[in-house]
Amino acid sequence: MRWATRRGVHVDRAACAWLIRRSIDPEAEFIFVDDPVEVPSDATPFDMRGVELGHHGGDCTFETILRRYRLDDPALWDLARIVHEADLEDERYDAPEAPGLDVICRGLSMVRDDPEVVTVATALFDGLYEHRRRALLLGRDPA
Amino acid sequence: MQPWFHYNARVVVRLQWVFLVYRLPRDPSTPRIALWRSLRRLGVVQLADGVVALPLDGRTKEQLEWLADEVIEAGGEASIWVAEAGSAAQERALASRMAEAVAADYRAVCAAARSAALESAAGRRKTLRRLRRELRAIRARDFFPPSEAAEARRAVEALGQALEASA
Repeated sequence: MRWATRRGVHVDRAACAWLIRRSIDPEAEFIFVDDPVEVPSDATPFDMRGVELGHHGGDCTFETILRRYRLDDPALWDLARIVHEADLEDERYDAPEAPGLDVICRGLSMVRDDPEVVTVATALFDGLYEHRRRALLLGRDPA
Repeated sequence: MQPWFHYNARVVVRLQWVFLVYRLPRDPSTPRIALWRSLRRLGVVQLADGVVALPLDGRTKEQLEWLADEVIEAGGEASIWVAEAGSAAQERALASRMAEAVAADYRAVCAAARSAALESAAGRRKTLRRLRRELRAIRARDFFPPSEAAEARRAVEALGQALEASA
């Protein structure tokens, strides 16, 4: 399936692309556009204005996708806490990891184009997910 | 400090601004309050009732677009515009207003850091953590750093150094 999002990928879109490939569509192909009108008719848009998979009710797109596809893995929701604060900084959650993730993603998008950011971010979010999964199992941060 | 802040009479490069123009029903008040909080966090300057602006970049435009969607979801009307000030003086006035708003926030941090010197070590440590967080939040909405920015940073770091020296 094809998925479309805005050019200039930052933390929420990078995390969503990772989530889509990991939990919804392993064969996902991503298209990056400047304006919603450029989204091909066969592509599912995400993290764009006025689409179902966007920000809703104070949620960032990562949270919207978790809800919409009923992904209830607690480690994914713990990741959502970090992505939400890195993207929105609205202090809805306590996420000391968020400012770090935010600058890492901003820096990445300065030196790589969008498809490469998505590729590099795969390892980043695989690692973050694993860290949060172990933290939830242990009840404390893993060494 | 952003290099484009060095305003003087010879600067002719005009900034671009992103405007959010909105109308939100008076009731219920919850969406209005949530919107107002988000706008304050972003550091917008208000131009008129229902018209706020930020210097244009990829991030500010996106943030205001999401808020526009929230206004529409809450039953209001909203649109996003990219604009340029009609004159350099008008732009300077806008930038000065924004700088003055954050300057007041920096001064409050400065004052808190100085009066913390009288607290116990534990109290000072707590205040230091709070002020560092507060400084980060102010910096996130500071587009035209005033001289108070560096002063506030120095005051907070002095508090940290005094704690380390006494440890």
